[in-house]
Amino acid sequence: MTPTTTTPETTSRLRQAVALLKVLVRHEPGTFAVAVSGAAVYALCTVASSFAVGWTIDNVIIAYFTDGSLPSSRYVIAGCLIIGIGVTRAAGVVVRRSFAGVTEWNVAAKISDAVATKVMRQPAQWHGQQMTGDLVSRVGVDVDATVGVLAPLPFSTSVVVLVVASSIWLIIVDVPLGLVALLLIPCLLALNVGYQKRIDVFYDRAQHELGALSEAVHESFEGVLVVKVFGAEERETRRLSTISGRLRDARIRAVYARSTFEALLDFVPASFNVLLILIGAHRVGAGAMTLGELSSFIYLFTLLIFPLRIIGYVLSEVPHSASGWKRVSGILDEEVLVSKEPRRDPALSSVLSLRDCSFSFHGSSSPAVDGVSLDVSRGEIVAVVGRTGSGKSTLLRVAGGLLSPQGGSVVWATGSPAMVFQEAFLLSGSIAENVCLGASRDEERLRRALFDADALSFVDELSDGAETVVGERGVSLSGGQRQRVALARALYRHASVLLIDDTTSALDPTTEQTIVRRLQAIDGLSCVIVASRPSTVAVADRVVYIEHGSIRAQGRHEELLASSHEYRSLIESYESDRRAREGS
Amino acid sequence: MSDDLSTSTRVIREGVNIAPDLRSGLALTVVLAFIGTGSRLVIPILLRQIIDHGFIDGEMRVEFVSTLCAIGFASVLLSSFTLRLATARLGTRAERGLFAIRVRLFDHIHRLSLADHNEEKRGALVSRVTSDIETLTMFFSWGGLALLLDGSQMLVVAIVMIAFDWRLALVAFVVSAPLVFVLRTVQRHLVAAHTKSRERNADLLAEVGEMFAGVETIQAYGATEEFLAKSRRGIYARAKANIRAGVIGAFLFPSGEVFATFTVASVIGAGILLGPEGGITAGALVGFVFLTYRFLEPIAEFTETIDQTQNAVAGLRRVIGVLDTPIGPPEPTRATALPPGKLGVSVRNVSFSYRSRSSVDDDALVLRDVNVDIAPGEHVAFVGPSGSGKTTLARLISRLADPQNGVVTLGGVDVRKVANADLRSRLVVVPQEPFLFASTIAENLVFADPGASRQDVMATFEELSLAEWIASLDQGIDTPVGQRGSSLSAGERQLVALARAFIAAPSILVLDEATSSVDAQTEVRMARTFERVSQGRTTISVAHRLSTAARADRVMMFEDGRIVEQGPHGELVARGGAYARMYASWLSATSS
Repeated sequence: MTPTTTTPETTSRLRQAVALLKVLVRHEPGTFAVAVSGAAVYALCTVASSFAVGWTIDNVIIAYFTDGSLPSSRYVIAGCLIIGIGVTRAAGVVVRRSFAGVTEWNVAAKISDAVATKVMRQPAQWHGQQMTGDLVSRVGVDVDATVGVLAPLPFSTSVVVLVVASSIWLIIVDVPLGLVALLLIPCLLALNVGYQKRIDVFYDRAQHELGALSEAVHESFEGVLVVKVFGAEERETRRLSTISGRLRDARIRAVYARSTFEALLDFVPASFNVLLILIGAHRVGAGAMTLGELSSFIYLFTLLIFPLRIIGYVLSEVPHSASGWKRVSGILDEEVLVSKEPRRDPALSSVLSLRDCSFSFHGSSSPAVDGVSLDVSRGEIVAVVGRTGSGKSTLLRVAGGLLSPQGGSVVWATGSPAMVFQEAFLLSGSIAENVCLGASRDEERLRRALFDADALSFVDELSDGAETVVGERGVSLSGGQRQRVALARALYRHASVLLIDDTTSALDPTTEQTIVRRLQAIDGLSCVIVASRPSTVAVADRVVYIEHGSIRAQGRHEELLASSHEYRSLIESYESDRRAREGS
Repeated sequence: MSDDLSTSTRVIREGVNIAPDLRSGLALTVVLAFIGTGSRLVIPILLRQIIDHGFIDGEMRVEFVSTLCAIGFASVLLSSFTLRLATARLGTRAERGLFAIRVRLFDHIHRLSLADHNEEKRGALVSRVTSDIETLTMFFSWGGLALLLDGSQMLVVAIVMIAFDWRLALVAFVVSAPLVFVLRTVQRHLVAAHTKSRERNADLLAEVGEMFAGVETIQAYGATEEFLAKSRRGIYARAKANIRAGVIGAFLFPSGEVFATFTVASVIGAGILLGPEGGITAGALVGFVFLTYRFLEPIAEFTETIDQTQNAVAGLRRVIGVLDTPIGPPEPTRATALPPGKLGVSVRNVSFSYRSRSSVDDDALVLRDVNVDIAPGEHVAFVGPSGSGKTTLARLISRLADPQNGVVTLGGVDVRKVANADLRSRLVVVPQEPFLFASTIAENLVFADPGASRQDVMATFEELSLAEWIASLDQGIDTPVGQRGSSLSAGERQLVALARAFIAAPSILVLDEATSSVDAQTEVRMARTFERVSQGRTTISVAHRLSTAARADRVMMFEDGRIVEQGPHGELVARGGAYARMYASWLSATSS
């Protein structure tokens, strides 16, 4: 938005508005039409009211003061004209504003819903590249900005009707005076366009500074512990003040530009008005018009100024709206990434089978999972071991069908596996709601799942048991407790396969041991567990050691200790450290 | 309502006290605005004069009319010029005032205690300095400006109406008076409707935010449709609230115009009743009709500012709420300098409870009468189950909070008497989840020591045996770490945080599970390096992984807010108490 692009931008702004309008109004054409009709009523009544004022001045006020008496019917007519037209005009405003609001917010609701639905249909792969905050703003502020253009548009149509009708009326009243008056319209429009162009630059700059400020503030407050630890409070305040100072200066420049234009927007029509009175007085003197007609003319001209002044603000809404729509339609137009649901094959000899699976994240040169083949038998517990960043979590997501491998295939025997993620996600709601997520509630099953996840004891100690509300407005659970509720959620589904991502950071060794033992006791349950503690790994039926996304070794824990040097040095680091210290 | 009004006045007064720019010269601004709205009077006055005196027997008095119009033009020019002065004054002072409030907020928020900086409150604090202040900006550039100009216009026009004819003015005021009651009544509903729509909006955003954050779990558990149905209900509830507020506003908006028609009709009737005998002229009556329209004209714009004004007062109220929150450990009025060299730590009869847990009843105590002595240069490990108070004590020693009872001294000086800058240059904490700024690795180290050169940064990594890791990164120490350090793994973030603590060269180092996310091999390697480079530096390690504890000179075992055992690792293991049991469980978990 540079000042060099002049005329093409205004025309494109109009074209933008029309294109956007078509898309938005499609959702609510009826209510929008009612709003526009209200706007037309308002515009026509405005012109009519000037007629009423002129008639009243000539036929009531001046007639009375010249003749000294009047037929009483004149009073009644004047009263009816002024009040009747005034009230109808107000009704037009009420209809326009109410129905514009109905249109705006119903369209907003439809679009928000469409965006939310689209987002929730996208697979994990797509979500991996998005920021939650950004997605939320697409549903919220971006939709609001988009529909922001709907409220003032009926108003704009009323301005058009008003300008056309008043032009005709002003010319009818008196041709020379009418022509002078109509000169104002291009003057004000030119002033408005020039103003918008100038001010947009300042507002854009201020908006940019505001963005920079909120980013810096976010970071500074989020890192407040570091700031405090290094005694950098004053330094940070100074840094943020500098950025705020830039915002203030940008805004003050906008204030000056705006004050000047506001004063001009005030001055131009007011001086025109004085000019019209001067010319009008001559016309009255020449007998070309009456004093009532001149007053009515001035009255209508005054009423015309306000809409002409603010039409510029209305049009300035268009680019804002268009950029909101761009972000919204960016989500809506995106295709739902095809996430191939793994094939189900009841004849499968194992419960879960991966064949030569490979997966690379978008934009990454090396695959996160590289040619992995793995079969999990009924009732088997498989531990996946590897260093940080070796691809364990990705492998688990591929096996669970959340990520579709680019190469190879995943086959499930029946149903779908239940996943427990590394970061337990609890919704704000009761523990029971969190455990039964997406399935119908069964008390017996709920308690069993909580027990197997070693969560029953602490849940029963809470004041409301499983009905205790957790999350933002409820009790905050410790990391380990959250993890156990998430595990209970997986167990509640009675899936034949559990896929459990690394939970050791949240669970203490004893709890982890208890849980693994209970999982083993569930008849026919197969588990794939990403683990790092030797104690957990030791009880697994099979250990799969992963490096750079591919399986380097597999077998029982003892076998791997003997056969794989890398495996042993990773799993025994603490032990060898102990030995080294004891030896020294 | 009146109660609300009086608290609003208090809020505004406090706001003005924080930012005197908002008040200074306000009187002159108001006077300028009065003159600035004068152009609105020119037309009614001109019309009156021309109708009454502009014509003699239908013949125009050219000189009279021309002079009159010239005066009218000059008045318009003058008032437009003063209008520019008034709006520019209001705008610039508002921006300066809001800047002052922002700076006060930054300073205050950085000094708030950590209890006021938790995860749940952070978003709110950010809103205080951004969106809440923005409501004030919006107010000053639209609503506040409109109130100033509209108020001036109504007052100036009312004065001229009385000067034209006090009897007609009286009629106009009486007929339009009920508008005040209409406005007040509808305004109450409008404010309530806007409040509700804001609440619905916040609810919706929270709900959608949670749904998007949990998308993986929701999809994995086939609950997508259920959640979409819930968000749809929220979306339509918000639409309904917004529509309701819009419709109320729609009825309020033209109320001034409706009253104007009745008032004008009454004024004409009264003017004719009074007639020429009453000293009324045709010109005066026409001029008065125009004045009446001008008088009620600002009402429409005024109804548009109600929501904005309410919003701005609410925003200011929240801002003042933050400034009223007492700051964290306060700075001493007269500081004592820490002695040079190694520092020992002493904790005497310390009890602590988090403020949010309300009253200091015995159950809420996180630390109960704790006594600790750490010799200069000693390495101590705090161990114990989660919630036993070990992290809290580390925080009290670091003066991230003050205990309710007892004293913490460093090098024999009460920490409450040490200047913040002095303390922070001598004691550094490395938290479990270290925060990195979204710049490069090198810049994150320089944050801890603004004077450090690139060589110093490299030397630090070499000293910590991390040079090899740095070399493995594409851009070495200039590698960007991303938002919150998200481009690095959790373990790598901890490595940068450790280097950042080291470059500050503190006398006391507090490590709060500083290596919990690195894999076992790396942790062991780091621990060995630490042992080497921390020789002679007082070190406190809060540890879950007992491999760290085993390295310390002394282990302190916490249970339920008390230290239940302390001594060298070997001794405690031999004693067979709580620590020995914990260590046995650790051994069995980490042995193959």
